[in-house]
Amino acid sequence: MNVKKKFLCLLALSVCTMPTLWANGMSSTSSSAAVQQEKKGTVTGKVVDKSGESLIGVSVKVKGTTLGTITDVNGNFSLTNVAPSDVLVFSYVGMSNMEVRAENRASFAVTLENSSVNMDEVVVVGFAVQKKVNLTGSVGVATAKDLEARPVANAVQALQGLVPGLNITTSGNGGELNSKKTINVRGVGTIGAGSKGDPLILIDGMEGDINTVNPQDIESISVLKDAAASSIYGSRAPFGVVLVTTKKGKEGRMTINYNNNFRFNTPLMMPKMQNSWEFVNYFDDANFNGSNAHLFTDAYKQRVKDYFDGKLNANDVVLQASSGKWDYDYPNANVDWLKEYYKEWSPSQEHNISFSGGTNKLTYYLSSNYMTEDGFMRAGTEKYNRYTTTAKIGSQLTEKVKLDYSVRFGRTDYGRPTNMSDDFYNHILRRARPVRPVLDPNGYYMSDINYIQTMQDGGRQNEQNDGLSQQAKVTISPLKDWNVIAELNVKTDNNWTHWDQKKVFSHYANNPEQTYLALTSPSNEVVYEYAYRSTYLNPNVYTNYTKKVKKHTFTGLLGFQSEQFDQRNLSAQRNDMINLDLPVLSLTTNTTSAALVGTYDKWTTAGFFGRLNYDYDGRYLIELNNRYDGSSRFRADKRWIWTPSGSLGWNIAREAFFGGLQDYISVLKVRGSYGVLANQNTESWYPTYQTMGTGTANGGWLIGGLKPNTATAPGLVSATLTWEKVKTTNVGVDIRALKDRLTGSFDYFVRNTVDMVGPGVELPSTLGTDVPKTNNCDLQTSGWEFELGWKDNIGDFKYGARLNISDSRTKITRYGNPTGSLSTYVEGQYINNIYGYTTIGIAKTDAEMNAHLATLANGGQNALGSNWAAGDIMFEDTNADGKVNNGANTISDMGDMKKIGNSTPRFRTGITLDLAYKGFDVTMFWQGVLKRDYYPTGLVFWGATGAGQFWSTAFKDHLDYFRADENSALGQNLDSYYPRPLFNGKNQTTQTRYLQDASYMRLKNLQFGYTFRQSWLKKAKLQSVRIFVSGENLLTITKLSKTMDPETAGIGAQGGTVYPLSRTYACGLNVNF
Amino acid sequence: MKTFNIKTVGKEILTAISFLILASGCNDALELAPQSAVSPEKYLTDESHLAAYTVNYYSYSNSNKNTILLRSFDGPDGSNSGGESLYYDDIATDNATTRGSNNRFVPGLWTVGATGGDWNFKNIYAMNFYLNTVVPRFKAGGVTGNSTNIKHYIGEGYFLRAMDYFYRLRKYGDFPIIKEVLPDDQTILAEASKRRPRNEVARFILADLDSAILYMNDAPPGGKVRLTKKAALLVKSRVALFEASWEKYHAGTANVPNGTGWPGAAMDYNKNYQFPSGSAANEINYFLDQAISASAQVADAVDLVPNNGVIRTASSQAVNQYYDMFATTNPNSYAEVLMYRAYDITYQTHSYNHYAYWGGGKGYTRQYADNFLMANGLPIYAPASGYAGDNYIQDTKVNRDGRWRLFMKAPQEIKAFMNITTPEKFETAPVIYSSDGKYSTSTGYILGKGLALDYNMQLLGKDVTAFIVFRAAEAYLNYIEASYLKTGTIDAKADGYWKKLRTRAGVDPDYTKTIAATDMNKEGLVDWGAYSKGQLVDATLYNIRRERRSEFIGEGFRYNDLLRWRAMDQLNGFQIEGCKVWGPMKADFAAGKLVSDQTDEKKNTVSSQSLSLYMRPYQVVQSNNNFYNGLKFCNAHYLEPIAVQHFLITATDGKTISTSTIYQNPGWPTEAGKGAIGF
Repeated sequence: MNVKKKFLCLLALSVCTMPTLWANGMSSTSSSAAVQQEKKGTVTGKVVDKSGESLIGVSVKVKGTTLGTITDVNGNFSLTNVAPSDVLVFSYVGMSNMEVRAENRASFAVTLENSSVNMDEVVVVGFAVQKKVNLTGSVGVATAKDLEARPVANAVQALQGLVPGLNITTSGNGGELNSKKTINVRGVGTIGAGSKGDPLILIDGMEGDINTVNPQDIESISVLKDAAASSIYGSRAPFGVVLVTTKKGKEGRMTINYNNNFRFNTPLMMPKMQNSWEFVNYFDDANFNGSNAHLFTDAYKQRVKDYFDGKLNANDVVLQASSGKWDYDYPNANVDWLKEYYKEWSPSQEHNISFSGGTNKLTYYLSSNYMTEDGFMRAGTEKYNRYTTTAKIGSQLTEKVKLDYSVRFGRTDYGRPTNMSDDFYNHILRRARPVRPVLDPNGYYMSDINYIQTMQDGGRQNEQNDGLSQQAKVTISPLKDWNVIAELNVKTDNNWTHWDQKKVFSHYANNPEQTYLALTSPSNEVVYEYAYRSTYLNPNVYTNYTKKVKKHTFTGLLGFQSEQFDQRNLSAQRNDMINLDLPVLSLTTNTTSAALVGTYDKWTTAGFFGRLNYDYDGRYLIELNNRYDGSSRFRADKRWIWTPSGSLGWNIAREAFFGGLQDYISVLKVRGSYGVLANQNTESWYPTYQTMGTGTANGGWLIGGLKPNTATAPGLVSATLTWEKVKTTNVGVDIRALKDRLTGSFDYFVRNTVDMVGPGVELPSTLGTDVPKTNNCDLQTSGWEFELGWKDNIGDFKYGARLNISDSRTKITRYGNPTGSLSTYVEGQYINNIYGYTTIGIAKTDAEMNAHLATLANGGQNALGSNWAAGDIMFEDTNADGKVNNGANTISDMGDMKKIGNSTPRFRTGITLDLAYKGFDVTMFWQGVLKRDYYPTGLVFWGATGAGQFWSTAFKDHLDYFRADENSALGQNLDSYYPRPLFNGKNQTTQTRYLQDASYMRLKNLQFGYTFRQSWLKKAKLQSVRIFVSGENLLTITKLSKTMDPETAGIGAQGGTVYPLSRTYACGLNVNF
Repeated sequence: MKTFNIKTVGKEILTAISFLILASGCNDALELAPQSAVSPEKYLTDESHLAAYTVNYYSYSNSNKNTILLRSFDGPDGSNSGGESLYYDDIATDNATTRGSNNRFVPGLWTVGATGGDWNFKNIYAMNFYLNTVVPRFKAGGVTGNSTNIKHYIGEGYFLRAMDYFYRLRKYGDFPIIKEVLPDDQTILAEASKRRPRNEVARFILADLDSAILYMNDAPPGGKVRLTKKAALLVKSRVALFEASWEKYHAGTANVPNGTGWPGAAMDYNKNYQFPSGSAANEINYFLDQAISASAQVADAVDLVPNNGVIRTASSQAVNQYYDMFATTNPNSYAEVLMYRAYDITYQTHSYNHYAYWGGGKGYTRQYADNFLMANGLPIYAPASGYAGDNYIQDTKVNRDGRWRLFMKAPQEIKAFMNITTPEKFETAPVIYSSDGKYSTSTGYILGKGLALDYNMQLLGKDVTAFIVFRAAEAYLNYIEASYLKTGTIDAKADGYWKKLRTRAGVDPDYTKTIAATDMNKEGLVDWGAYSKGQLVDATLYNIRRERRSEFIGEGFRYNDLLRWRAMDQLNGFQIEGCKVWGPMKADFAAGKLVSDQTDEKKNTVSSQSLSLYMRPYQVVQSNNNFYNGLKFCNAHYLEPIAVQHFLITATDGKTISTSTIYQNPGWPTEAGKGAIGF
């Protein structure tokens, strides 16, 4: 629809919703009308903090009016025209508000206290804020304090472990500079066969990416976890909402804040490579064990040994082959390639400045942040820079109209070698053989077998991503407690990626001047440019009204929301450059090899929503939500869906019978919620449409000497495809006790995803095409979250501790797998189950193995492999059928396998401890996963693998392998951890012995800070100064194999080849002017 | 309190109603079709769309890779690595071999699959979608462009559907006939899975080809790299002859409808099947007539290219068109070529010559070598044949059929003289002692059809030699065979065609002389095609078959011919042989190359001379060698088994095979991993 139509839509909405509320508002507000005229006078006073230091710039305001002022440098204020019945409100950043009746006093001495958890604490919820004590849904909160001075690249990293149920995990290739951790709320939402289960991330009410937000701008983060809490956002939010609220200006004098930190990163948990002599023995044993043939000749091994022992010249690392090239398959250097590729240290720094303040008419907040980070790659540099600016102004135009406008701009620049792509992670470890030299004897890089030159000279990839968000909002308050809000959110993303690829060459041994294309080299010289632009347009119109009648409080909300998202991209690529120093598309020359791609896509939604809250004396709480959603992803007859939800709360502590206990327990609230939400996040934006596959000049059957255009038959689309439904039940308890020193909450939830999009059930082949995906699966995720906090002080000594633990598990409740095959999801089973054999042990002798096999009369271990011998695994015949196998590999017949573990991370934990004494503070933050099994596959854990010598590697850890030979160069090892190495996977079959305990606790952050005394700072005209040192990932407690990091186990290439995470040491300063 | 609640509820209802009104208004905004992909409604509306669609399926490799509609230098898996090619389809027959063979020659080893196989309808779906969409649209005037071209591309759709169905017919015989795009509905799909008797399938293919012939022309845009009308006629004769001869030689067996033990008879829907022509014999005649008519239309219209007998060794020599037709990059000017596939160094290359250049681990058999006639038209065993023997590989070429001379490469022949300063030659001692996939030959008789004699072509991935997909000589052969089967005589047309073929081959055109000199018992030793149903056939029919075997040297027709002739019943330990390695030629080999009879047989490089003076590629080592005892066959192997999965998913309850709408082919169980019944 066009803009005009949309506008009419909105207008119609406003017209139809306003009168009903207006009428209601008119009829119910009359008590504030008659205020007696009183004698007004001037009041003065001084505001100090607990330690008696005067506070500068405190806002002093007459409640309910625009009258107000701020305190001067000595903390003094003066206010005229104050009536005795007026209430003065004192507010100051970081302090609790204080309200004092003017009475007839002329002067005041006010002491503001540092704000801490209190009954008035509010939480941002959908389209509103709510008192935390009155919440009935499940909402988790993190604040700016939690993110303070964390030397991390983005806010997501700092959020890990802070909010129970907000699960943040490392993904992709690990710790690359531009990596983004994945976020989910309460575990798995969908199986991902045709839809996504990601949470909705909103920054000041507009969808965005937390990774690009200036972490220093964040004031609070609310995580709406259950259906009742998130339902106001409808079909975009079935799997939770993360609400990021950024700082805004407050009335008072201008506050200037500058803070910075300087960091030093070092690779975390890097495996240690074997040396050259260990390597040749290890690989030779692996080959000999399998084939009775040596991989390396004695002469070669001797040469490696001689070099290792320093008997050869330093550059005598490789011989010449008959081809005239170096014999690069058999070099004899001794290089620690991980150290060669990765630096020990890389620096980064961050600077942030903000200005905020305002009057009662106008508030403002301005901030700017710059962060720059270097990577570990030694050959060819990596660089990540982030620039952000934020500006917010709020203006109270009249008593009834308020305008807010904010703009956020973020830019990230990321550069790396082009060839450090996904494929790099496939190859780096397998090709990092210690015998391979960096340089050939003539001093040239040996680029056939190492990546140094490819990284350095093989081309650069540069990504520049710009995001601009603008939000305009008008709030009209026709009556007290009635607001009509219209806002328009606009976001534009512009991303540009350039990469170029250049050939690198190796030098001949016999004629060093001559070169040839190196094995690691790209085969072409290419320039590639990619441009992406997306726009997001989101008008919201809503109105809220609060009505108090004695102890009854009603709050209503009605609104309309529409979203429009479109994106377009354009990419172009062409081979061969005029000049390699000018990788510019216009300066490429190949007339036949070029590629052009451009697409355009769009989706829109519309939603109507309403919420009703009822609160009786803070004792009985009810919230009802309903939303009516339409999405462009479904056809007209299935487009719209109602999603209702509701929640109840009962604060037992406010009951009369609770009596004197109230002195100890101020809140004891039980609450429950149930709601249905729909998921519109289908993987395809047009899942109900058939599309033709078309190709331009890509046909293999040449016509007229050229590739013809092609077209492919469309696949089928299920006629019945519709919304996935997400039904969440939540029960919880909140407690506050001992004068708010103790806080705690517990939530239990069951979230059913029903009619989930899954692969179609197999149909007769006469269909002739893939069975279309359809809504034929269900899953259930259930779990709990627990939080407990304690905060107190003993004199000047303050301390606090917080613990949170959460758990979630997902069970498949419906899936088209009638045979129960273990190779896909099985109905009734938890996902991520690991099925494997039971290990008896490693056979120490051939006789022991033969004795074991003799007990297996019906086929031994033949199903797993052949030629069983000393050093191999003896598997248990658990079903006593005389053979070890996996039966039909189904849930009902898995032979000798059984469920041996589950790789779902369980009991995710965060622990924060903080201490403060007279300006000194210490904070310690631990994060971990208390239960997780992981079965390792691939070369990272195993070293020698079944994929052969070229898909194997050699770490120090792998040396603990079975060696029966007393004369082995590496010594006999009968009591080994690993079985005898083989270029054969039979001993690596999933089994109990090598099941890894991937649980861990990690000291994510430890910081020491010192805040200077204000009496000292006054002379320097400073408000506050804090200096700190901070460390990230300082300590890890885990039982996992040393070959991997518990946070990256299971991701990366080849069983865990990743870019290492970093341990960071930082120091910095935070000044308020 | 209560009143307030009611008011609120009333308000909610009121606003909900206004929402609903609004919602319907906003519906327009939510109506979004794919913005960057074309929907079927907007496609196949123009001549260019049609051209793009059909050409994509010429060599489209979807997950059913082994059934590319028009194979060329693409291997059976759709790749063009390893030098695999349609030209290699004669491997594992009596014509050619590697060091191994195919499990089909060891009953018991070929087993029923659990899933997949050729019971696959992906190409059929693609063509049904095309024809269902385009034909009505064209008839309603909804396709823009040149109507001759549009019609041609519509014809291509029929042609390609026929090609796919012909593949299924050869693999399975009885097969479902599906002309529509079916919905994703279990009941409908199970019903559609019912197998139609094979003669009905063949008739359906002929009907599609008739449509293709009606719509297509012989000069499509792009020329003969696209399908042509004559190619459709040729394929029609091929299909009709295939079905006629199948039904003739398999008559009365379980392999034909209403034959003894035909599994179709056990199904309600095929019980009491009535032939459309009234009887099985009439069906055979129907297909023969179709073959005769279609082949004559091609053979009468298209001449054979001449053969000047020259085996070129230098650029100065005249081009031999007959050789060059298979080895050139552009055979467009050769009339005999009805369709070919072109390659281009920039856009599409293959690696056929890369492997052929060295032998590729393959070779023609001794049995094939012995089967070619002398240039004088006599078999080698005829007293006056003048046969020079086979002590040396090159001896077998002396005074022989020109096709053997041209397309088999002997030691010291030139491999390449183009784009190379010193021409390269084949080794004096053929690399028969190695099993290397590239640098060896299994028999010594190296495959030479398509060898470009150009050094550049043999570079890996740089070969642009064109591939002949259809050529007219097949129509000549199809006519001769079909008319003889129909009438029992060589009619005037057949006489003319046969003589042209023999003349072009450099063989005395008087075929009666050959027939008179043919000793069927001797032929039976070297030619499986001497048999049908385990019996030797008459000498005239046999010489027609020999002509076919000789003309199609290296072109991949052999196994399908053996199937339709039912020519493998008699196999019982047949030993394929290569060159006479233990004869005088052994002196050509360097010491230590020819190793046999070792205690550790893994050290053997060739077979033992105690077994035969000729190389026996299957008898180099005995252990772990399924082919050591020679090749055998069984009736079940004439058709493929259907994988078990297909019975399960067409069963009423998903697991009881007896309730499936389909039936297994004769002699095969319905259990995965089991071989033919009785083995």
